Amino acid sequence: MTPTMTPDEITKLIFRTALKERAAFDLLYRHTNAKLFGVCLRVLKDRAEAEEALQDVYVKVWTKADRFAASELSPITWLVAVARNHAIDRLRARKVPAAELDEAHAVTDPAPTPEAAASAGSERRRIDACLDELENERATAVRGAYLNGDSYAELAARFDVPLNTMRTWLRRSLLKLRECLER
Amino acid sequence: MTVADEHGPERRDDDLVAAEYVLGVLAADERAAAARRIETDREFARLVEHWEAQLAPMADAYEPIEPPANAKAAIDTRLFGQAREPSRPGLWSSLAFWRGVAVAAVLAFGAYVGLTYTSLPFGAPPAEEHRYVASLAHDDTDVRYLAVYDGATRDVALSHVSGARPEGRDFELWAIEGDNPPVSLGVVPVGSSVHVALDEALGAAIEAGAVFAITTEPPGGSPSGAPTGPVVALGDLRDI
Repeated sequence: MTPTMTPDEITKLIFRTALKERAAFDLLYRHTNAKLFGVCLRVLKDRAEAEEALQDVYVKVWTKADRFAASELSPITWLVAVARNHAIDRLRARKVPAAELDEAHAVTDPAPTPEAAASAGSERRRIDACLDELENERATAVRGAYLNGDSYAELAARFDVPLNTMRTWLRRSLLKLRECLER
Repeated sequence: MTVADEHGPERRDDDLVAAEYVLGVLAADERAAAARRIETDREFARLVEHWEAQLAPMADAYEPIEPPANAKAAIDTRLFGQAREPSRPGLWSSLAFWRGVAVAAVLAFGAYVGLTYTSLPFGAPPAEEHRYVASLAHDDTDVRYLAVYDGATRDVALSHVSGARPEGRDFELWAIEGDNPPVSLGVVPVGSSVHVALDEALGAAIEAGAVFAITTEPPGGSPSGAPTGPVVALGDLRDI
């Protein structure tokens, strides 16, 4: 996204898109497509599929923009949620053996470097600090799930624990994370 | 105290399913079930939204990546049948060009404002500055409308987002300005997208910062001219 657009301006573009103004939709696309493509590509790890997903995402943005008006999310959070949820649905719909998926997901998500942490926004620093309070492996699993759309089954295989153990880990981690964020 | 704690064990389990849905770890069938609940269960949808907001800062880590230049044309074709003729594609699709335009626009706007406020008499602002939008909602109901007021035509466009009117009742739209009694804008016609025309006085009230509210009333609207039923949705107007 180009830094010239404030969240308020993006909000207005989504409202105008809900009113079926193509000019607003064009502008919204121009200012958000790189971020949303980044989401699709990171989750799907396949350019052709990410391109198809991006098209689906903007079709949804056009047809469901009025839903944004009823939500209390910030405009970028709403857009990223539309993109992430769609990309993860596509990922789940794939019929690929788990072994291949493991390789495709070999990218790890280490905690951000000090430089990255220093330049990040305060909300990001806050959630990173809360993730740091979790056990190392669990924080990695939470980040991996959120950013790559890893499923319980994939995470269980990767960390070599039973699926139910992974579920218990992550549920506890999520509650701890929220407790920390609301502190 | 969290939303989940207030509603006992079932709510707590829903809360965790909402968290798992947002985190993205559920299997395909569980995701599909959760997505269906979001559409039909307002409470569950709220839990999901809460988690979306809480985990959102992690999305900072998604690096922006430029999609292929023809992606937008493909989207337009799917939505509108055919893409617009791209004039001078080399220039118009260039990011650097658009950044330049954005900067130029900001500079031009600055110059315009400077000029308007220092040396010119106050002219009529362009028509699009007369538009206001309100999201009408209420915590106790699932009634949602998007309202857009166009000052140039004094037209209120209402887009129905969710929530049905109760059996045998009508929705009535009101404008409330400051401490004045609510003024009826009439019964909201049935339909997903409807228009209500306003007279000049009401138009002025809206531009002065009135709030829109929707109540349920007997068929045909409030008999007394003042709201009698509960407010099911309300919202203030934002300038767009």
